[in-house]
Amino acid sequence: MEQKKTSGKSPIKIEQLDVGYEFPPSSYELEPLVIAKYLEAVGRPSEQNSPAPEFVPPMAIAAYTMNAVAESFALPPGSIHASQELEFLKLVPVGTTIDCHGRVAQKVNRGQLHLLVIELEALNQDRERVLSGQATLVVPN
Amino acid sequence: MIPVLNKELKLSDLRQGNSLSSVVKHITQEEINRYAEASGDFNPIHIDESFAAQTPLGGTIAHGMLILAYVSEMMTVAFGKNWLSGGKFSVRFKAPARPTDTITITGKIDSIEHKEGVSHINCGVESHNQKGEAIVAGKATVKLGA
Repeated sequence: MEQKKTSGKSPIKIEQLDVGYEFPPSSYELEPLVIAKYLEAVGRPSEQNSPAPEFVPPMAIAAYTMNAVAESFALPPGSIHASQELEFLKLVPVGTTIDCHGRVAQKVNRGQLHLLVIELEALNQDRERVLSGQATLVVPN
Repeated sequence: MIPVLNKELKLSDLRQGNSLSSVVKHITQEEINRYAEASGDFNPIHIDESFAAQTPLGGTIAHGMLILAYVSEMMTVAFGKNWLSGGKFSVRFKAPARPTDTITITGKIDSIEHKEGVSHINCGVESHNQKGEAIVAGKATVKLGA
């Protein structure tokens, strides 16, 4: 997957993230080979069983958007997902270029851990929102 | 039970209490590694057994987004394109899914609401491992007639 970053700076550390911080926007293209690799990885039914093989599975967009946002900061090893909210707003054809945006919605320090809530948004090349959501991560200090 | 892969789903087919066709997946380290490659998420908690062994989790765990892909598979099979555009969910990760686990994803229609010409199908979704421990629990909603 070709991913374009808009910032060449060093990854941001968790300590530097404040509520309201907006991650540098990035974009990626949902190429057919990328989607084929994703479908193989999640063990999805064969194409003839798919309701719409010409469209990208929404969890692929969610995963790539999360990853694109997380690329810009140094997520400590051992970080895990606590909860996830997602809304799939539009069908996304294979081949679409997605622009991703992320923002820190909440950050709570709990001793050895941080709870980090990140709002996510993915737009297609027509600037239409195709996905929005919120991920809560447990991040070790 | 909702018919499998209902491409032209009709509201009249759906009832409160209907179960969705469950999805069963066996988790292996190879599959976790394959998902890491496909998604680009190489967090060592998923792929580095020696690192993961030293954490409170005691070993590698599957990506949360992989488990959610299985939840989404169940919803896609039940609701087709209505899920791909008009689906929404909110889930909590209750426990990690580990290599060798067999994960069963289940869902049930909790309620059907009608608002401004759109029907909202509200489902409870869960996943359990082979010991019956909850891995993921939450709610999913599909809009029909939007």
